[in-house]
Amino acid sequence: MKLLYKELSLAAHPSLYAFMLLGCLVIIPVYPYTVIFMFGCLAPFITFMFARENNDAWYTATLPIQKKEIVLAKCLLLTVVQLGQLLLSLPFAILRNTLTIENNPVGMDATAAWYGFGLIIFSVFNLVFLPAYYTSGYKAGVSFLSAMLPVILFMAAVEILVHFPIFYWMDSTSPEDLLRQLPILFLGLFLYVVSMAASYRIAAHRFEKVNL
Amino acid sequence: MNEENIRNNLLTVKNLTKSYPDFLLKDVSFALRPGRIMGLIGKNGAGKSTTLKAMLNMIQPDGDSVYILGLDFYQNEKKLKQQIGVVFGGIDFYPMKSLSSITDVTRRFYPSWDEKRYEHYLSLFSLDEKKKYKELSNGMKVKYLLAVALSHNARLLILDEPTSGLDPVSRDELLHIFRKIVAEEKRGILFSTHITSDLDRCADDITYIRNGSVLKSADKETFLHSFSHLQANEDSAPLTLEEIMLRTERRSFDEITL
Repeated sequence: MKLLYKELSLAAHPSLYAFMLLGCLVIIPVYPYTVIFMFGCLAPFITFMFARENNDAWYTATLPIQKKEIVLAKCLLLTVVQLGQLLLSLPFAILRNTLTIENNPVGMDATAAWYGFGLIIFSVFNLVFLPAYYTSGYKAGVSFLSAMLPVILFMAAVEILVHFPIFYWMDSTSPEDLLRQLPILFLGLFLYVVSMAASYRIAAHRFEKVNL
Repeated sequence: MNEENIRNNLLTVKNLTKSYPDFLLKDVSFALRPGRIMGLIGKNGAGKSTTLKAMLNMIQPDGDSVYILGLDFYQNEKKLKQQIGVVFGGIDFYPMKSLSSITDVTRRFYPSWDEKRYEHYLSLFSLDEKKKYKELSNGMKVKYLLAVALSHNARLLILDEPTSGLDPVSRDELLHIFRKIVAEEKRGILFSTHITSDLDRCADDITYIRNGSVLKSADKETFLHSFSHLQANEDSAPLTLEEIMLRTERRSFDEITL
């Protein structure tokens, strides 16, 4: 917890909290909600740049921790931001549904499948971004671009997919369709946990070789 | 170096090695006993900072053993770092954060943190906790980091160029503080610098690194004596550390094509 406290009070860029709150955009009747996941990827990118400019890794390395815990701290921060963003969006998605606003015409609705795809998008981003960044310990831009490429392709695929009649149930908020979508949500959760664990292991291993 | 020596030493470094494409830190070995200040000298690029960083696992050494308080550092890194204070001159962090914010995080990592002691050092060093880190002068930054290190009862202080860029008054003040720190006989300071006059005044032991290797590591008297061959007939006083470094490193301008 003290590692996370350090991240939140010293290393996190203020925009991180703003990006987290952007989960509330699911209340907007017409908005491409999948873009919200991009904010969940932008937040770590800006924070990693901010941390780099503030010599965060150096300060952390002087604390009584092991080098791999510098990476662990950032993984904890990413988990809080990304899952926090999804959790914060939840009451707004429920509110939208309660208000019986018409189906979002410009993209997927905030369905259980949408949350599942969001978790998969974050899993892909983390698995590319974290190991890429910790190979050098400073190349935030290149790491972000390499991670965003598969993320954008996946986002586009999801948005295209739900326009096929056979997949309409993924974009539906009717109770029976929401139940049908639950496996996608659980798959997303499972992949998120596995991806974060793998990202941490690979990134920490690579960071051991980085000279501070 | 036998096991009993390692146990009694505050710090023992054996055969520290790190290779870069254009630089080799080779078999660096030295030891620091409690109650003493060791000066690590060498010209810019000789390997002083690399030695300190490799010791602390901030860069991955190729081969070595580092013992602190008789324990293998790499196997007991978290535990031993509780006993270490690190001050690297010239490396700033979180410049926009106030000292109180940085301390609020730092203290959580040290179960032995002594708040009263911290407040005592803040007042002793005239540090204002509300100030942002970037608002401190270089000397005040070093004092702040020393205050933090002493508040968690660090027994080994590792200082890299702490006096570089400071005015003579601030340097003198810091050297006085260093002597006070080791006066209790349980703490020790490893202090890298290229300002050798500081070490003339406060060091007990000297380790001289040249081109990535230890040229000599000994108590100051033995160290000065071992370079007596550099003394010229016209020298009226014993050589200072600066003279020793200059005469060891200096190349004749005649050899250099300008």
